[in-house]
Amino acid sequence: MAASNTLTTMTSRLYLTCIRNTLEAAMCLQNFPCQEVERHNKPEVELKTSPELLLNPVLICRNEAEKCLIETSINSLRISIKVKQANELENILTKRFLRFLSMRAEAFQVLRRKPVQGYDISFLVTNYHCEDMHKNKLIDFIVQFMEDIDKEIYELKLSVNTRGKLVATEFLKQFL
Amino acid sequence: MAATAVHQLAQCITCHAWSPDQTMVAICPNSNEVHIYKSSPDKWEQVHVLQKHDQIISGIDWSTGSNKIVTVSHDRNSYVWNQEASEWVPTLVILRLNRAALCVQWSPKENKFAVGSGAKTVCICYYEQENNWWVSKLIRKRHNSSVTGVAWHPDNILLATTSTDGKCRIFSTFIKGVDSRDAGTTSSSELKFGEQIVQLDLSFSWAFGVRWSPSGNTLAYVGHNSMIYFVDDVGPSPSAQSVAFSDLPLRDVLFVSERMVIGVGFDCSPMVFTADERGIWNFVKLLDQRKLVPSSANYGSQLSGAFGKLYGQSKHISNDTVEPSRSRAGVHSNLITSILPLKVVGGAVKRFSTSGLDGKVVVWDLENQSEFSL
Repeated sequence: MAASNTLTTMTSRLYLTCIRNTLEAAMCLQNFPCQEVERHNKPEVELKTSPELLLNPVLICRNEAEKCLIETSINSLRISIKVKQANELENILTKRFLRFLSMRAEAFQVLRRKPVQGYDISFLVTNYHCEDMHKNKLIDFIVQFMEDIDKEIYELKLSVNTRGKLVATEFLKQFL
Repeated sequence: MAATAVHQLAQCITCHAWSPDQTMVAICPNSNEVHIYKSSPDKWEQVHVLQKHDQIISGIDWSTGSNKIVTVSHDRNSYVWNQEASEWVPTLVILRLNRAALCVQWSPKENKFAVGSGAKTVCICYYEQENNWWVSKLIRKRHNSSVTGVAWHPDNILLATTSTDGKCRIFSTFIKGVDSRDAGTTSSSELKFGEQIVQLDLSFSWAFGVRWSPSGNTLAYVGHNSMIYFVDDVGPSPSAQSVAFSDLPLRDVLFVSERMVIGVGFDCSPMVFTADERGIWNFVKLLDQRKLVPSSANYGSQLSGAFGKLYGQSKHISNDTVEPSRSRAGVHSNLITSILPLKVVGGAVKRFSTSGLDGKVVVWDLENQSEFSL
């Protein structure tokens, strides 16, 4: 059990290091006004109006259930994460928890209100975020978030299970 | 080591330009204004604020001969500012653009300037005496994407451009009545306006920051794929060299001499490239050695010893707090967007300045550097 646990944390660290390095290289953003619409300045990765302003997207997979898509353009970067969901309970917990966060996206600044299709949660980093914040702190935040989300879901699952067990015990006591 | 002065002038600086006597600097603090600061012995003092644009200013250039400032902005306009008494008076330039203007540069003779734009065009602007305004002639339908950089050849006719379609192009900008045929001794004056001389297709990604060497023999520009390109013998048979480096991409370059180039960009530290006797370009080093153990021993001269200690300390602190990711903080802590020459002695730049999104203008000195005796 302990051995498999350390193995999991190690592969998880490799996965997160890979994401961190990719983000460091990809987060080279600059102010860039829209080429198609007058006096507009929009994240190109969302509009996708000029294909030459987009870079090749990078998909980092730990396994089938856990992956991370990094799409880059000249002035914005989109990170979409699929969180591991082993069973139905985890599925429900992830959905609820991430919905809770997405609804408060303004508080997180770089969080997108809706995830990209096929993913659980998306971040949108624009050149304005890079101007206001330290790039390494931004990357740390995203990586920390990914690290914590697994832990959070795991703890939620444990507490639901414990509670279920407790309720069942209490309920079944009356038949004793 | 080589940074002699650091000025935190704003939260974020998009571009900067120096006055002809280099006592004043014009910066855009990432807004629709231009702030002009004057140096005094102890600190920099804000003396003028130029307000006319209504969107972020993307380019400033201050002409050395005629003391005029040209600004371009994302609001599609450009103004030429003239100092009359103590006021700066703007003159509108008829750019005829329908997208943002991205970059600007005065020509060497300062009778024209070039504006690169998001409308995939380049405007060559010149003064029309009879109407008392600046008019522009457009180079259309040559670029497939936004024009990110313009650079004038010393002959005042050739113009190099970089674009987000990854190409670098060279055009003739001969304008009848502005340029005289006999003035240009080179064959470039035979060409018509807007004629494309060469298209360099070296980069797979966006191209930025084009510059000519002082003699105009070599052209350098950078790609977003962490490459820098050097082109010799521009003309029908150019010879090109690509140099890849391991750090983050560059945004702008500066020729210090014929055989030395300094590039700045996302890596937050200026990079030095030199050419050897055979003309082969190589990456030499970062000017701001952040990877070394912070100690004043790295800082060469006695004069900058105190600076060294200061940076060493601040670097140490930042390393402690952000343990997990490699902090790029040196003198600059964010993208460096522009680099300008300050002191030129005998064709070689001895001092230059950089500005970046961290809001600093940094002056770098190359004079006391024994290894830079090129």
